[in-house]
Amino acid sequence: MVRPDPSRIPAIVCKELSKSFGRVRALDRLSLLVPKGVTFGLLGPNGAGKTTSIRIWIGLTAADAGTAYVLGKRVPPRAVLPRIGYMPQEAAVYGDLTVEENLSLFGRLVGMDEGSIDRRADDVLKLVELDARRDDLVSTLSGGMKRRTSLAIAFLHDPDLLLLDEPTVGVDPELRDVFWRFFATLTSRGKTVLITTHYMEEAARCNEVALLHHGLLLAHGPPDRIKDRTHTGNLDDAFLALVRGSGVGPS
Amino acid sequence: MSVLRILAITRKSLAQFRHDKRTLGFVVGMPLFMVLAFGYTFGGQVHEVRTLVANDDMGPFADRLLANVTGDTLALVPAEDEAAAREEVRAGRAWAALVFPSTFSQDLSARQASLRVFLDGSSPTIVAAVLGTVRAAAEAAFAGAGGAAALSVEADYVYGSSDTRFIDSFAPGVVALAVLMVTTVFSVIIIVREKSGGMLERLFSTPLRPGELVVGHASALAVVACLQSLVVLGAALLLFQVQVVGSLPLAFGILLLFAVGNQGLGMMLSAAARNELQAVQFIPLVLFPSLLLTGVFFPLEAIPGGLRPVAYAIPMTYANDALKSIMLRGWGAFDVALDLAVLLVYDAIMLLGAAIFVRRQA
Repeated sequence: MVRPDPSRIPAIVCKELSKSFGRVRALDRLSLLVPKGVTFGLLGPNGAGKTTSIRIWIGLTAADAGTAYVLGKRVPPRAVLPRIGYMPQEAAVYGDLTVEENLSLFGRLVGMDEGSIDRRADDVLKLVELDARRDDLVSTLSGGMKRRTSLAIAFLHDPDLLLLDEPTVGVDPELRDVFWRFFATLTSRGKTVLITTHYMEEAARCNEVALLHHGLLLAHGPPDRIKDRTHTGNLDDAFLALVRGSGVGPS
Repeated sequence: MSVLRILAITRKSLAQFRHDKRTLGFVVGMPLFMVLAFGYTFGGQVHEVRTLVANDDMGPFADRLLANVTGDTLALVPAEDEAAAREEVRAGRAWAALVFPSTFSQDLSARQASLRVFLDGSSPTIVAAVLGTVRAAAEAAFAGAGGAAALSVEADYVYGSSDTRFIDSFAPGVVALAVLMVTTVFSVIIIVREKSGGMLERLFSTPLRPGELVVGHASALAVVACLQSLVVLGAALLLFQVQVVGSLPLAFGILLLFAVGNQGLGMMLSAAARNELQAVQFIPLVLFPSLLLTGVFFPLEAIPGGLRPVAYAIPMTYANDALKSIMLRGWGAFDVALDLAVLLVYDAIMLLGAAIFVRRQA
């Protein structure tokens, strides 16, 4: 049997993925391929199905129908969880631990040794500009700093796939720019960064985007191609044009 | 002060109660439960205390005395002989044994009779009830003849002594209660806190398994429980000179076993709560039955028959029984094997339940 070349396995593949919560259809037959080594934007308004997709991909929620593979493993992808970095929408950091203690905890949970944790903590804290606050309790930090701590946790273990749910909310524009440049560095090293956002202008910096609305995939591809297809000048207008064309109705 | 603003806040609070049906149920149900539980158990009267009777009396007086044992305080059970009766008390299957010698009637006629009562002195409430009932029966049987004065009741303590104080009898239970309180309170809050702010989903996005999370928390709380058990046991021993005739390490082990189960229970309840307010409501639901229905302050014989099955369904009953047996009777692990087995099963079920419930919350 010929084994597939690992470098050619897509980061995420899903086919006909559906999920409902009661009568609410959160995902409606979503089929998507996220290639390796790109910054991928999952766009859409609140309730579009972005967070549900991520939760299914990391095994937190089971899909009602359809299949999904993450880093080549069928969901729930237990075997590859140490290769995934996840930043939830909420801050998701322990306020009664210091910044460093938060990092150490998650480093240990993904199997890093203490030496690696110390080394990587130095690097990631510099990047999110929190190295001066590493011994402070997270509860004493501002909202933006908590988000930065959360992001630092997500990429502490240098994962192959970063799943970031609204990572730039509450982050000032200057630091946001640092983040995006950092994401570009990661992708240049073959890592995949998947970001959900409802800020369309931010998504223009992604290599590829998927536009979701009420659980339906409206469009998928490089931002410029989507703009060309919809004859619009930005992703906001492109999204509106696609919603009108889909017949789903505005959110 | 604006009345309108005050009313706005009042209406808001009442609306919050209205939307939270569980809290509403707690507000009404908990006081009702407390009144019922207190009312039924604080009567203080014990019932059906298993008491063996070894009656070798050749005359009529022992039977006359026994016929005058009225009410339901004692449940008299005939024993083959003195040794068998004593063994039943030693094994904890009976609280007392009345031994009438063959010359009892003869001695009573000669105004020098004695009735030996073997007693499990680990419960002063029961000792008082047994001796009180026997003396009252003697009074009723022989009062006219003046025989009651000629009868001496000799208490022979199989466990404890006439010096066993009320505090000695409830100290083991109070130690267990203290552990129950802290472990339950901590663990009830713990998962609710994990759930808030997306922590639980972040934890489960790593290879962490629910069982690992539960056992990890339980281990941390076990350290707290160890420390607390040491403080409580130490205070009971040093400040109140509580009687301990058995093995302290074994008592300590029982406390730890009990604490682990409570942690599982707390985490399971916590997973079922939507917020910290709902989680905290579970605490009295666990504490009050354990306080009132498990023999800590009043022996199980003081609990009405209808509530006894409830008492036997509460793990605290077994923790209390084991601790009392170890501390007051000097029993070893083999003697408290049933309690140990129940606590082990309790631990396993609660930790498993906690792992299942916690996983569903992420």
